[in-house]
Amino acid sequence: MFQYYFLLGLRSLRRNPALTALMVLTLAVGVAASVATLTILHVMSGDPIPHKSDRLFVPLVDNGPIEGYKPGDDRPDNQVSYRDAVNFLNSKAAERATAIYGTSVAVEPARKDMTVFISRGLGVGSDFFNMFDAPFLHGQPWSPADDKAGANVVVLGRKLAEKLYGGTDPVGQRITMSGQQYQIVGVLDTWTVVPRFHRIIGSSDGAFSDEDDMFIPFAAGIRNELPRNGSTTCTSDVPPGYQAFLDSECTWIQFWFETRSASDRPALQNYLDSYAAEQRKLGRLKRNAPNVLYDVREWLDFMKVVGNDSKLSAWLAFGFLVLCLVNTIGLLLAKFSVRAAEVGIRRALGASRREIFNQFLIETTVVGLVGGVLGLVLAFGALALIAMQSKALTVVAHMDWIMLLTTFAMAVLSAVLAGLLPTWRACQVTPALQLKSQ
Amino acid sequence: MLRMQNLSKVYRTHMIETHALRGFEINVKQGEFVTVTGPSGSGKTSFLNIAGLLEEFTDGEYILDGINVKGMDDNARSRLRNEKLGFIFQGFNLIPDLSLFDNVDVPLRYRGFNAAERKERIEDALSKVGLASRMKHYPAELSGGQQQRVAIARALAGSPKLLLADEPTGNLDTQMARGVMELLEEINAQGTTILMVTHDPELAVRSQRNVHIIDGQVSDLVRKSPTLFDANANADGKSHVA
Repeated sequence: MFQYYFLLGLRSLRRNPALTALMVLTLAVGVAASVATLTILHVMSGDPIPHKSDRLFVPLVDNGPIEGYKPGDDRPDNQVSYRDAVNFLNSKAAERATAIYGTSVAVEPARKDMTVFISRGLGVGSDFFNMFDAPFLHGQPWSPADDKAGANVVVLGRKLAEKLYGGTDPVGQRITMSGQQYQIVGVLDTWTVVPRFHRIIGSSDGAFSDEDDMFIPFAAGIRNELPRNGSTTCTSDVPPGYQAFLDSECTWIQFWFETRSASDRPALQNYLDSYAAEQRKLGRLKRNAPNVLYDVREWLDFMKVVGNDSKLSAWLAFGFLVLCLVNTIGLLLAKFSVRAAEVGIRRALGASRREIFNQFLIETTVVGLVGGVLGLVLAFGALALIAMQSKALTVVAHMDWIMLLTTFAMAVLSAVLAGLLPTWRACQVTPALQLKSQ
Repeated sequence: MLRMQNLSKVYRTHMIETHALRGFEINVKQGEFVTVTGPSGSGKTSFLNIAGLLEEFTDGEYILDGINVKGMDDNARSRLRNEKLGFIFQGFNLIPDLSLFDNVDVPLRYRGFNAAERKERIEDALSKVGLASRMKHYPAELSGGQQQRVAIARALAGSPKLLLADEPTGNLDTQMARGVMELLEEINAQGTTILMVTHDPELAVRSQRNVHIIDGQVSDLVRKSPTLFDANANADGKSHVA
């Protein structure tokens, strides 16, 4: 009977076309609004590295001044100082570790047809690429020896590599950046991490910024005194000079540890506590604040990657969907009320209440499916509009298969929910009354 | 075929009780053509609705083709209605946006026949009423008499044992009414029991038996002699309006 009812449902779309169109549109608009905001929320709040998100940790120690500090105060910042970063790197406290800081360089192309341009990149450790599963198109990461030596080596992002060398493999060639020669050891493939959890702070668009142009050893960036791109927090005056800045308690480096397994977290926490205690003993750390490890999910929460605005938008969109559903209920009641005679006839011809219920519910499902298709078109349109607002939104405003299926499921479920009351009312029709009144 | 004993039907509102049927007794035999007459408000329609399992009765007994229907749930009543009964209404009650084929198909769908059997039954039923060539047409494209013929085809398609007709010629002109009545007589002659509510004394005269209802009770049962019934028949054996 499902097929029969489905065909009746398709036919009933042609009955009262204006009412049907209004119903489909109401449902579609409600679903589109919800799906568009839900898609953004879904992309924003997804686990960017699910197979190891519980093994990657951001360590934070509080190196703020004791003046004005009260235990329990909010943590002042979310980066570490150069001294802490170097100490963490030397500690071997975990399987892998990397310091990250944003920088920019003036690229001087060898090609005569190109002029000097500024490129954005990161100073990182050689472990960085394996820690965050960066995909290599050509070459490989530099060696730990290059880390130690602060060698002038570079891994290019795909876009920059294509800009400078077209489709050819540039590994082994030299590139001049900010007056220094760097040897190209690798080229990354397209690498879109959403949210871009490893480098939230200091990116122009936060967790949803574009790919980096190039990666150089952290120590090379320091040795060459490359400028910092991103946030720097200093709680006291810093004497002039680069070394003085490195020796200061200014925080400007993002640090990540990777443990062998999630169960190694307590050991890493112990290390962090011991380290902080030692630094307190040395008189460097003044506050007796807790030392914190964040895994990837905790880090995204702590950094409020999914802002309250996004959550509020989603709630508002769902509120709107409920409003649309209420309207759809009214429209369905109107549509079904004129079908009382048909219900009476079908009942007289042998349809039980259950059969009538099934028929009308499948009819509303058909409305839901059509609403789903239209909702999908509108959702794509809404996402395109949202993507036009900023570069960061371009990254998150795209629909995947899960959301595509969710759209249909939501449309059908909404239609079925909206159809329950009108369908139940249709089942209550007294056939004798309807048949006589015809 | 149909037996009601001491049956009553009371409509209750918070203020009033209305006795539509009281102490109602009737016994219709297999193959009979019974007409039901009575003034407006006498209980004819309530009787027909109860006979057609469209309404429940308040008290008494109702046996349909040997089955006691008292206390049956909606599913069982619907199944019984679908298998044993056919309905013909004064207002035809065809579904306007279904073709004739699909209208006749409705009760067969609920019966669960497969597509081939449904098609065969629909074509057969529409042939019987002379509308096989108009299967793809819609009710609005037919005259009143033709629409009533489709309704008869729909009632017949499931091979019911009892055909319930509520003023089937009430909306038709004399010529069309005559045609429909002849068709019903033919159907009855082939063995289907017919119970027909009518206001028309001429039609009542043509049935084998007329049951008159007044104030919710059978006032008198007029069993007409075969001679009287035959007196209204033509030489070819077909009935006509006297």
